[in-house]
Amino acid sequence: MRRHKSVQYLILALMLLVGGYAVGRSFASSGDVLRPGDKPPSFRLADLQGEAHTLEEYAGNPLILNFWGTFCPPCREEMPALQQQYEAWKDEGLQVVGINLSEDRHRVENFIRRIGVSFPILLDTNRRTERAFGLREYPTTYFIDANGVIRQIVSGPLTIEEIEGRVKSLLESA
Amino acid sequence: MIRNTKCECGHQNPVGTVLCEACGKPLDEELAASDSVLEMRYDGMARRSQKPHPNPVDRVWNFFSSVRVAVWLIVITLAAAALGTVFPQESAFVNLTDPAAYYRENYGTIGAVYHALGLSRTFESWWFITLMVMIGASLVICSLDRVLPLYRALTRQQVRKHLQFITRQQVVYVGPIQGDAEAWTARFAEILSRKRYKVRTDGNALLAEKNRFSRWGPYVIHIGLIVFLLAVLMRGVIPGWYMDEYVGLDDGEIEQIPRTGYFVKSLGFRIDFYSDDELPEHLKGQLRVKQFTTKAVLYECVAYCDDATREPELKEVAAHDIRVNSPLSYRGLRLYQYDFAEAPRLISVRPTLVDKRTGQSYGPFELPMRHPPLTYSVGPFTLELRDSFPEFGLDENGEPVTLSREPNAPAFVFVIKGPGLPEEGVPYLYFPREADRQRFGQDRINGAAAEMFDIRVMSMEDVEFSTYTSYLNVRVDRGMPYVWTGAAITMIGLVMGIYWNHRRIWLRIDDGVLSLGAHTNKNRFGLRAEVAAALAKAGIEVDAKMLDNRRKES
Repeated sequence: MRRHKSVQYLILALMLLVGGYAVGRSFASSGDVLRPGDKPPSFRLADLQGEAHTLEEYAGNPLILNFWGTFCPPCREEMPALQQQYEAWKDEGLQVVGINLSEDRHRVENFIRRIGVSFPILLDTNRRTERAFGLREYPTTYFIDANGVIRQIVSGPLTIEEIEGRVKSLLESA
Repeated sequence: MIRNTKCECGHQNPVGTVLCEACGKPLDEELAASDSVLEMRYDGMARRSQKPHPNPVDRVWNFFSSVRVAVWLIVITLAAAALGTVFPQESAFVNLTDPAAYYRENYGTIGAVYHALGLSRTFESWWFITLMVMIGASLVICSLDRVLPLYRALTRQQVRKHLQFITRQQVVYVGPIQGDAEAWTARFAEILSRKRYKVRTDGNALLAEKNRFSRWGPYVIHIGLIVFLLAVLMRGVIPGWYMDEYVGLDDGEIEQIPRTGYFVKSLGFRIDFYSDDELPEHLKGQLRVKQFTTKAVLYECVAYCDDATREPELKEVAAHDIRVNSPLSYRGLRLYQYDFAEAPRLISVRPTLVDKRTGQSYGPFELPMRHPPLTYSVGPFTLELRDSFPEFGLDENGEPVTLSREPNAPAFVFVIKGPGLPEEGVPYLYFPREADRQRFGQDRINGAAAEMFDIRVMSMEDVEFSTYTSYLNVRVDRGMPYVWTGAAITMIGLVMGIYWNHRRIWLRIDDGVLSLGAHTNKNRFGLRAEVAAALAKAGIEVDAKMLDNRRKES
């Protein structure tokens, strides 16, 4: 009878494990879209000089990750604000990275030169990174803290004031 | 209440036993005093869950071991699944950016409530999966709780049963016999053997049994269902087991299949229509689609797959003309024809450079719409690509911009360098599409450069274009073989349990009186007929109907 008992416990434990895992996953996989509190998916992308960069390189300091394209008017609109804020806070440790939405390199270069963007621009290819992030709208900006956790996600254009407030709270929490 | 579970035959039974495990005598005094037909479920064995002092773990076990609970779980799951089909599920849409708005707009207030309650994601919801897991637990525990005692009861059957056990079966005969009891028993054993019964005798007592395996049918069904459930569960749990994605391809375009190392290229999409000869009279002259075909090639990435600084190296692994119900299939990956859109787009052009000053023309040169090279050598001239616009337009300040990433209205800014031109070259804006050239006024924009040069396509042979965008549904479902296995096991269990029935006949002869009882789990008519026929061969003529114990009661 003792043997039966341990078998019974084993079966129940197994069910709890498999069932718990299945139910747990149903909470986790509520969509591919990132939410605040998530860690962004890793990427490896080329910059305009052709050198590869990974998300991990930016760990340790607050990071603004901005997905943009020259075909998207609000993206073009907010670019100067991002540049202004980058210059204002880069000495405090703020990093800004723009990920272009899979356009041709010369397109991106022309636009960057015209606006005078000095923060790093990475080039997505075949919309791979954009899909991994589950992007629904352009532009989308991720405010990521020094620990690599997404604090805020903003879809649509940002003004200088809107960026500044979020940067301050990022720097304070660091 | 603690009852004495020791039978008068001397056998010590576990708590919860209805009929003595050894001799079959009803243990409950009330039951023993009556003469109703015995309930033979699980042969009167105590189920595993019937323990005197259940601890919390036992209580969990007992909860899931209840058939009543199992039925409720199934009813609730059915109701939930039914609700989940009232409106389309969110997962049925390829691109649903704002589900809340979609349900509100399309189905009104009910739709909004439906979405708010989470019913639009019923089948992925935690509570539905919890129900499934509970049904799985119930299946396993209900089965184990019953199959083990039943197995024990059926393998350790005692031949000589208590008289009450025999005379309270569904099928009963009691009557006198002539001659020696043991000889009669042996002869009757012979008769039953010929009817494929397995017969054991114990002096003047007999137990004959056939088709016991059909009793395991329901449990085999349960095993099949558990395999089925686990396979469905695994689909969602093991990465790479399940995928349902969509890829849109222009003719000639190559795209990566999301989250895989595969790329798919369309060599062209076409629609075939029925000719008038093939159509019935009333449909003649109408366009009726006969076939949608995407000529597709599947590539596997073999090098630099995740290297953003280089182009991935691809190897062709499969090619197929994808038609409806004829997918491209490669190692569990299936690409189905799903949809198409008529979206005429340029793929590439081969324009010629005309020097208007001399009347000479140079070229043609190859100009792809996607990822164009940066320099072109055309005769004595060099064209440097300074900018390109897949969909040319003007922003609010009148600056040229691209309106999208798709080559819907492509424009290219070249700087032409060469003999007779200034060092820094001459800028030239080129629209490959004649319509765009007119709409945006190419010559007006180019001004003086338009006096010197013209870039144009000389014939339609120098234009490669895509008429359609073909949408393919990419599916992986590695759980399917297991789902089929589970379904097959379930079917086997069903056949076992339905086409055969477990029949048992007990008899004993006490002082020249034969007491015979028989039991089956289904088809009592068949058993009665079989017993009546056997008795007839042994010299006892009895109407099969008269063997029905319950008939006598009424």
